[in-house]
Amino acid sequence: MSTELRTSEYLLLFRGAGWQNSLSPQELQSLMAQWVSWYEGLTQQGRVKGASPLLPEGKIVSGKKGRLVADGPFAESKEAIGGYFLIQADSLEHAVEIARGWPILEYGAAVEVRPVASECPVFADVHLPQAAAAGERS
Amino acid sequence: MSDRNAPPSANIAEIAENLFRHEAGKLVATLTRIFGLDRLRLAEDVVQEALIRALQTWPYHGIPHNPSAWITQTAKNLALDVIRREAVFRTKEAEIAAGLERMAADAASSARDASEHDIKDDRLRMMFVCCHPAIAEESQVALALKTLCGFSAAEIARAFLTNEATIAKRLTRAKQRIREARLEFEIPAGGELAARLDAVLRTLYLLFNEGYKASFGDSLVRAELCHEAIHLATLLVEHPAGDQPRAHALLALMLLNAARLPTRADADGTLLRLEEQDRTQWDQALIARGMMHLARSAAGDELSDFHLQAAIAAYHCAAPAYEATDWPRILSLYDCLVEMDGSPVVALNRAVAVANVHGPRAGIDAVTGMRNRGELESYYLLFAVLGELEARLDRFDLAAEHFERALALTATRSEQAFLFRRLRECEEHTPAAVRSI
Repeated sequence: MSTELRTSEYLLLFRGAGWQNSLSPQELQSLMAQWVSWYEGLTQQGRVKGASPLLPEGKIVSGKKGRLVADGPFAESKEAIGGYFLIQADSLEHAVEIARGWPILEYGAAVEVRPVASECPVFADVHLPQAAAAGERS
Repeated sequence: MSDRNAPPSANIAEIAENLFRHEAGKLVATLTRIFGLDRLRLAEDVVQEALIRALQTWPYHGIPHNPSAWITQTAKNLALDVIRREAVFRTKEAEIAAGLERMAADAASSARDASEHDIKDDRLRMMFVCCHPAIAEESQVALALKTLCGFSAAEIARAFLTNEATIAKRLTRAKQRIREARLEFEIPAGGELAARLDAVLRTLYLLFNEGYKASFGDSLVRAELCHEAIHLATLLVEHPAGDQPRAHALLALMLLNAARLPTRADADGTLLRLEEQDRTQWDQALIARGMMHLARSAAGDELSDFHLQAAIAAYHCAAPAYEATDWPRILSLYDCLVEMDGSPVVALNRAVAVANVHGPRAGIDAVTGMRNRGELESYYLLFAVLGELEARLDRFDLAAEHFERALALTATRSEQAFLFRRLRECEEHTPAAVRSI
């Protein structure tokens, strides 16, 4: 059974830490400016739904009733998420195309592009037969 | 952050082009005062981290209304974290914390006069440290670019056409010397000031020349070095400790030469001679500033080589056309300069002035008669000048020989392009029969 959903919202997760450490003030400013311009461009197109940076510190809660609370070792990791943008795009391909414009890619960081499920997948399954039926009719 | 709730100015165009670099210079100086000169590295690290935070935050929340206050505030918070973590600061923690609070309050305050004054003091102190005679000259310039101007080792290496490891080594050695020689973070006073000020002026002059000389490197980086030297010299003369005639003369000579920087090459990057430059493109604002400082350099009866060089540059800037250049006056200034500065480069420049006053033959004689000409045997400009003078005498075959010799001595594209062009022009004047020999 397919759980594919129609969605227009995508989460861009900016991954990677440490790429900025050896940059000079001039390079940092230039990247900041490029990144801000990229963001402003998306905002003007009405594509930005939300955006926030994430601080490197944090905790990981696990175990039954959350007995295990560990310090999030995110800071050093290549996988560390530095922030996210929630954007509107026409398709996953389109969202990927937008992500390609992130200026920090040049420095070895990565963007994870995730479609946001527009509703709970369980309900989507329930709706699917109707959708399929509608498809047959047309 | 105090700006978090204010609407972001969000206009990237309003941010000064060198904001991060100049903020870094200011903050490193102030934090060095607060932490102590032996913790210079810590001050640099804190500032770097504050700028990284700006990059990690501004794209999401917009650019804060007062970017420099934001960066200072962030640096303060990071510094507080550090001093609480590090045991060495325990005894001084309260004092340091108070200093940091004052730094952040000053940056956020609208009454900038008092705080600006303190910041300028800190930068002057840093300038005197960077240019301290205990530090090797080559390291002085690197250290000044790193701590006062916010350049990275890689950027300094690019400007000096060397590798990053060499610059990193120079920086490490300089910091070692600061500790070994127990340098003070202070503006020298009394009898010591004059000698130490001379050392600062020499270093700034060196920095400017690194940028100005066309013999190597990336032209954009070089222009930046010139502007940094002007920036630092301006800070210096605005401070009572640096407000001296010879400091104004140095600043004047930098401004009057920098005004002509953009016209020294054509659109293809080929070097242009003074007579070929588009004088309407000379930066009149820089010239006006230069003339103002030249006037201020005339206070008192001091006459330094900076005065003479500034005056020569002023005569060039004041001439509406090449033909209108007051060469006799320029020559007499060079005559004085040769007395003061025996370097062969000065003598070569004087020879050009001689040629313009007394004719090319006299110019060639002046070159031939240079006392330490031997030092210039591998200097392309010596042969470029001889080539020009021979060409003026219509001795194009001799001129071509000199241009070819010059060509073999330069690796800079703009100079090579210029010399190729001059060689072609010589060939056009040389009869085919002569050429085939």
